[in-house]
Amino acid sequence: MSSAWVESFLWGSLLIVRVFSVALILTVVWGMLGASAKMSKNWLLRRVANIYTSVFRGTPELLVVLILYFGSAITLTWLVKLVNPDVKFVDIPPFWAGALAISLIVGAYATETFRGALQGIDAGQTEAARTLGLTRWQIFAYVELPQMWRLALPGLGNHMTSIIKDTALLSVIGVEEITYTAEMATALTGKPFSMYMIVAGIYLCFTTLVVFSVARLETRANRYLVKSR
Amino acid sequence: MLIAVSLPKIAGGVVLTLKLLVVSLLTGTLLGIGAALMRISGNRLLAWPSFAYSYVFRGTPMLVQLFIIYYGLSQFEWLRNSMVWPILREPFWCAVIALSLNCGAYSAEILRAAIRGVDQGLHEAGRALGLTTRQRFLFITTPIAVRLALPAYGNEMIGLLKGTALVSMIAMNDITGVARTIVAKTFAPYEIFIAAAIVYLSITWVIQHGIRLAELHFNRYIKK
Repeated sequence: MSSAWVESFLWGSLLIVRVFSVALILTVVWGMLGASAKMSKNWLLRRVANIYTSVFRGTPELLVVLILYFGSAITLTWLVKLVNPDVKFVDIPPFWAGALAISLIVGAYATETFRGALQGIDAGQTEAARTLGLTRWQIFAYVELPQMWRLALPGLGNHMTSIIKDTALLSVIGVEEITYTAEMATALTGKPFSMYMIVAGIYLCFTTLVVFSVARLETRANRYLVKSR
Repeated sequence: MLIAVSLPKIAGGVVLTLKLLVVSLLTGTLLGIGAALMRISGNRLLAWPSFAYSYVFRGTPMLVQLFIIYYGLSQFEWLRNSMVWPILREPFWCAVIALSLNCGAYSAEILRAAIRGVDQGLHEAGRALGLTTRQRFLFITTPIAVRLALPAYGNEMIGLLKGTALVSMIAMNDITGVARTIVAKTFAPYEIFIAAAIVYLSITWVIQHGIRLAELHFNRYIKK
């Protein structure tokens, strides 16, 4: 009997890892697109990117998750009903809607991190690359990207813990992660404190893992730098 | 259309959201000052608990913290029979406790970073002038640290505002709570939730401008 909810916690944790992986990839995509748009010469792109970051950094995460899931469900249902009036309800799977919502939120923060990192690269580096006759794409891939990675890492580490923590919100749209498991297990055991403490413990393990991995990556990324002092 | 109609209803939730924000910000900042002082005290018995506090509260989702306090504490019978139960039974106070503890953990880190950011030369100058440790802290470190902490503190205020939306998960009628109730009745998620988002964005805007004015005030001696 008791092993049933222990197993659910394991599956719920695995689900967090899956949401995290998908959301992290999308976050980097939105962040890079956002940063490029903010640094572009086109005012419209800059405008769109500014609206994106201020909206997603100023709206509660919970609200974004709700808008994306229920909004998309309404739209999809309406579209499908045009073709087949018998359909009652269609939605984007909560997993994908949730991962998308989290990535859009954290991507807005990542935009600023990536922009800061790109601006932090010594201008002499890109000038040198241009003098050598590298194309714009080559400069980005071989000169800018390896160097901005190093500068973006500390910020990106924070964004990764944010993604992990935001997964707790997804129980509200029916993703069966560990906060949801705790709710079910409480009904079974009558021990809400113990159950939610397990959830907190699992999250703390995940965030600790991220913090340590990022610290390792930082030492790796900075290995060519001569230490001052 | 529905956005215009639902805005006044949502305004009813604004009062609760702002109440939660102000109360938690005040207690959270006090907690943060205390924790930051413990961290820089140089005494390991004080620094370590403060570190653990920041680490745990920044490393776990606020929603889970809120659930532990609101749902979890009822597990203990001795607590249910104690004098503090009338407070811990109230969703409002549970929300304030969770938000304050969370805000305190982040403020502690912000303040610690700001205190460390104060130029070492200023300390030396203060010592050369014969100021005591306490005088140096009060008249040199504090004003400069406040200035350095302001931008991050503004972000923390916005983070706390966004955190208040979680109280709708323990059945409170804040902005998000009201919006969710209306959506359950009308089933118009776009209009209502976007109206709620606009309200949050307006509050965020006010906070950002307030912080900018405060920055101008504190930076008035700095040459451009």
